[in-house]
Amino acid sequence: MSTASGSGAAPERVAAPERGGRTRTWSWGEAAIAVGLFAVGVFTLVETTSITVPGSANVLGPRAFPYAVGVLLVGASVALAVSLLRGQHGSAEEGEDVDAGARTDWGTVAKLVASFAALVLLIEPLGWPIAATLLFAGTAWALGARIVRAAVIGAVLNVGIHVLFVQVLGLFLPAGPLEGVPFFG
Amino acid sequence: MGDIGLLVDGFATALQPLYLLYALLGVTLGTAVGVLPGIGPAMTVALLLPLTYSLEPAAAFIMFAGIYYGGMYGGSTTSILLNTPGEAASIVTALEGNAMARAGRGAAALATAAIGSFVAGTIATVALTFVAPVVADLAVQLGPQDFVALTVLAFLTVAAMFGASPARGIAALAVGLLLAMVGTDSLTGQQRFTFGLPALADGIDVVVVAVGIFAVGEALYVASRMRKGPLPLVPVGGSWMTREDFRRSWKPWLRGAAVGFPIGTIPAGGADVSTFLSYSMERKLSKRKEEFGKGAIEGVAGPESANNAAAAGVLVPLLTLGLPTSATAAIIIVAFQSYGIQPGPLLFEQEAPLVWTLIASLYIGNLLLLVLNLPLVGVWVKLLQIPRPYLYAGILTFAALGSYAVGASTADMILLFLVGVLGWGMRQFGFPVAPAVVGLILGPIAEEQLRRTLAISQGDPSALVTSPFAAVVYILLLVFLAAGVYLKRRQSRVEEELVHDRPETVPAEGNRS
Repeated sequence: MSTASGSGAAPERVAAPERGGRTRTWSWGEAAIAVGLFAVGVFTLVETTSITVPGSANVLGPRAFPYAVGVLLVGASVALAVSLLRGQHGSAEEGEDVDAGARTDWGTVAKLVASFAALVLLIEPLGWPIAATLLFAGTAWALGARIVRAAVIGAVLNVGIHVLFVQVLGLFLPAGPLEGVPFFG
Repeated sequence: MGDIGLLVDGFATALQPLYLLYALLGVTLGTAVGVLPGIGPAMTVALLLPLTYSLEPAAAFIMFAGIYYGGMYGGSTTSILLNTPGEAASIVTALEGNAMARAGRGAAALATAAIGSFVAGTIATVALTFVAPVVADLAVQLGPQDFVALTVLAFLTVAAMFGASPARGIAALAVGLLLAMVGTDSLTGQQRFTFGLPALADGIDVVVVAVGIFAVGEALYVASRMRKGPLPLVPVGGSWMTREDFRRSWKPWLRGAAVGFPIGTIPAGGADVSTFLSYSMERKLSKRKEEFGKGAIEGVAGPESANNAAAAGVLVPLLTLGLPTSATAAIIIVAFQSYGIQPGPLLFEQEAPLVWTLIASLYIGNLLLLVLNLPLVGVWVKLLQIPRPYLYAGILTFAALGSYAVGASTADMILLFLVGVLGWGMRQFGFPVAPAVVGLILGPIAEEQLRRTLAISQGDPSALVTSPFAAVVYILLLVFLAAGVYLKRRQSRVEEELVHDRPETVPAEGNRS
């Protein structure tokens, strides 16, 4: 029976919860997370000392809760490190469209980041309809769609969103060069 | 019997034609988005939040009730017809319903899920109607130390119940608490963790964080390791439910409601745990145990009913105490807060018409779902076939839209993306996202109540445990944690048995074209 890995999503999930899948070997990524969590905890504790406590502060000032959270972060990172050393690893979350056994595809992620950055930079000069079409087309293309078709679908969708939000729901979205054109804003 | 009168008033509001339209819109959108693969109920509610920004509260909550129930329901269609696990609460339905669909009984599986959801959802909503006001009456008398106890209860149970190990849950919770502290301290006006950035002085908008963790995090995670190849979609076939199917389904529907509602009301992992309990119960009670794993209709009817009953149960602590016990509940609190309404003990007094309209629209939404889902299955099947590149491009577009619509600021969009990267990392390395969202939303409440308690007691920490209610909560906490660990063990045992019983089915299908 091919319960091995990759093809069957359900069995893997089953192995995950408690045993934590001891089959996998040492993971630098997870070790980095534990160290990073520890660093965030220490940073929280240090940063807390710089919060000003006004003389009028109540019994428990603005520092107490941050200290507690810092301690919680450090404690969790230590517990995590201990469980990693004992060979208990986390398992990547399952999903309908996820191949949990695959390697991270950095190329696709980079294209997604670029598409999103384009939206952030261009939304104010070019307006929502154009900037969001770039986001949609770029993302769909990165994930394997044909770019012209993705651009057409993205344009229709985002013009629709713009008209719905600005005209029907009365919310603000920048129109960019389309400012003043009927229906756009 | 004043509550009944209020409920009738609620119905009078919710049944106005315009509001019925909002309910229909909410149910349809909720189901449509919930059906989409990769989108669970929490993300459905988070993504559709911006649509309600410009509505008045009553219309918004009516639409929300529909989105919530529709989103919960949508997942089951996905899991019956798609041969991959969806949101956790639908996993059992996926195993059993998918087996039915492949045996050519897809139509019957979808029908028993739809009718079971309606029956159990209605029973659980009736229970909510009677239980919530009683709890709210008790809750009004609670002091700040009692709320500290309740938030501790919610933090620890959510952190312990979700995720592979308590350490991971606590880590996620602490990250959520840290994000919640960024901004200006409400009691002393001091800036905390803002690094002098004006964009952070007002704190991080919870809508931005929620949408970032759920939608952007999921999109990045899927993009980084997308499943290649066509989707293993199972065609809907076979006859509708036969008389025999009804005979075998009605008891699991009722039992599912009886299991789901109470489990939903306690912070024990919400819908997820209830479906597994219902499944193992049905299998134990069934006279045809050999059919389980191969498409027993009881195995769809019970868990699916329990799932929807738990969805109503979750609303009891949410509305009366302001305590979210699941990620979806946390997002609903955000929706309330965006109208300046804080769910909690005073809600039933101060916003009585609104709350009862919401409860009435839960009944209406449930009925609409039944009416809508039986004939519209074909449309939902079409939605399942949306090509993945467009689906995830759409999710990112709507996430960006949601974060921008909050405050028309590009800083929020950058924050959205950064939080999305965090959500991706959490998924990748097996950290549960629910505790982070609950920490983010309950953190400020916990801190404020804690400081208020100690201000009243003039620094005496024993005030935290000496109130009888708080003491009872801390004792209950220990009981819940013990029961939770037991339930979780049991859940993984059921999962394990399922796989050992039928190791061949799921992997074999994964390779089908």
